[in-house]
Amino acid sequence: MKRVVFAIIFILILATSLVKNSTKEAEDRIFIVNENIRSLKAKFGDVLLEYNYLSSPDKLTQYQTQYFEKKLIKIDITKIKKLTEKNNHINVSDFVEKTKDE
Amino acid sequence: MSNKKNNVVLEEYENEFSYKKSKTNLNIEFNRIAFILFVFLVISTIYSIQLLHLGSLKIHNEIKPLITKNNYRADIIDRNGNYLVKTVSSIDIGINPIEVIDKKKLLINLQLIFPNKNYMKISKKLQKNKYFYLEKKITADNYEKIMMLGDKSIKSEEKLTRIYPQKNLFSHIIGQIDDDNNGISGLEKSFDKQLKQIKQPLQLTVDTDIQFLIREELIKFHSVFRSKGSTAILMNVNNGEIISMVSYPDFDLNKRKKISDVNFINRATKGVYELGSVFKTFTVAAGLEEGLIETDTEFLNLEKRLKCGKNIISEYDKKIPSDLTVEQILIRSGNIGAVRIGQKLEIDKLKLFLEKIGVLNKIDFDIEEVGQPIPFRWGKCKLATVSFGHGITTTPLQLAKGYAIIANGGFEIKPSLVKKILEDNQNQKRIIKEGVSKKINEILRKIVTTKEGTAGFANINGYEVGGKTGTAEKAIIGGYTRKAKVNTFASIFPTSKPKYVMVVLLDEPKTSENYIYKYKNKSGSYKGTPFNTAGWTSVEVAGKIIQRIGPILATKYIEN
Repeated sequence: MKRVVFAIIFILILATSLVKNSTKEAEDRIFIVNENIRSLKAKFGDVLLEYNYLSSPDKLTQYQTQYFEKKLIKIDITKIKKLTEKNNHINVSDFVEKTKDE
Repeated sequence: MSNKKNNVVLEEYENEFSYKKSKTNLNIEFNRIAFILFVFLVISTIYSIQLLHLGSLKIHNEIKPLITKNNYRADIIDRNGNYLVKTVSSIDIGINPIEVIDKKKLLINLQLIFPNKNYMKISKKLQKNKYFYLEKKITADNYEKIMMLGDKSIKSEEKLTRIYPQKNLFSHIIGQIDDDNNGISGLEKSFDKQLKQIKQPLQLTVDTDIQFLIREELIKFHSVFRSKGSTAILMNVNNGEIISMVSYPDFDLNKRKKISDVNFINRATKGVYELGSVFKTFTVAAGLEEGLIETDTEFLNLEKRLKCGKNIISEYDKKIPSDLTVEQILIRSGNIGAVRIGQKLEIDKLKLFLEKIGVLNKIDFDIEEVGQPIPFRWGKCKLATVSFGHGITTTPLQLAKGYAIIANGGFEIKPSLVKKILEDNQNQKRIIKEGVSKKINEILRKIVTTKEGTAGFANINGYEVGGKTGTAEKAIIGGYTRKAKVNTFASIFPTSKPKYVMVVLLDEPKTSENYIYKYKNKSGSYKGTPFNTAGWTSVEVAGKIIQRIGPILATKYIEN
């Protein structure tokens, strides 16, 4: 009986070791991927920072006056239209409904 | 043959053998197996522990590079994920003169890389034999070039620095840090500990595009009305999220200058002002809340002047009729009518209402730079002046909060700059009775749309703007001065289902001779500012702001 118990324990230990060994390999792979992601994240952060700076409203306004002759105009919300599709038919309506006091 | 007798002697042989179930041999076998198993167990355990230990080490390694560096602070992003602050690695280049072999050669080489530097100064520094910085935050190109020189005296130091890509745009909100990496103002101060610990960026409720547009309008009108400063707050009335908060003048955070001029304070949160007639909305709302008045309640034979102690209370507009309903009192901004409502309310009820909406005491906010409304002793005269917004002070942020509560149906909100999982007012505490909000919103709308109203310039088509103006003379020792005014416009939109509250405050504006106003409620235009009142200054600014930010709010935040 004791032999059986010891045999089971031995098999379990052996199995655990084998599983652990394979887990280690998986962990190694995860580690490498994480390391790659980390460096990519850092790069992405720097690129996003650059993008945020270059596409900031201040910069865009500066580029607009520098490269385009036409001025930016304000959008009149009453001129914005809303498109809705129903049964293959597109319906055009005002984006904002006029109120009584307007 | 000899007869040899073989005598067989039988002796009793004493054999000591007796059968016993020997345990000894078996014990040896068992111990061997047990020993082998034990060895296996130990090896396996060590192996397992090693595996687990190594695994845990690797997980720690993952975050090590950023967090363990000194001066690390988490990034700050706006509600759309745009960077407002980012911690980046930078390299400073220093020179140790003791290690320089050929000073002349080094100076020539440096001149090729940095042609714009003052080499007389650098030469003097080299003579002193003291370590000095040649270039801070060097560019990648120049770093490569200088390292190619291979001079031992050139030292590179990697450092972490805070970059503010939006420069001045969020200066008062974000605040500054000192040389020891400690926050000294704004969110950098109030979230100092958190920013040093968290890995993820801190997300704010502000919108960069809207902040930019509002700031641009404030700068434009700063030169039109030559004000000392100005501020604007845009807040969601249902959850208290601040979409924009601008205080002008501001400063570039990248320059890291020590700001000592009080004119650079955050007027939105730190500025404590007497705001004038914008308080009448609270007086009327308190009256409606207590059931003492209705919007059509009439006040007859109202005096043109009232004397209370040393103070004389009069109407700013002599054309205001003597008989007014509550609605007309608010639309025409009648001082005497507001006093009468206040007197009906009495001190306790008005005080309780003002406390409830959070304008009377210091506000608990995400940044520490908040002003303390000046405490005062309530009395009969104080009740009269407070009713029309004089003798009582608060900050523009608290004014925005008060208007938000009145506009949103009477639900408690907490103004916030940091994005949280906030829900609209379904789960919030109601602090004002149902129905008060609707009545007030309708009157605020009429202030903008009717001829008698004081805020016609804010009637921008499509947004249903409502609001109340407030023109207050600044207090000086012993009274008030007509020369310095604070002009405020507290607006809500759309009034049918309010989503936003916007407060625009101009600190000491002056009239403009050349500015051309375009009427909104009638055709035509008007050149020059006839009166230095909120209706001719801050309302015009608010109108222009809503015109610019309105399409973004209406389309971008359509589902919010």
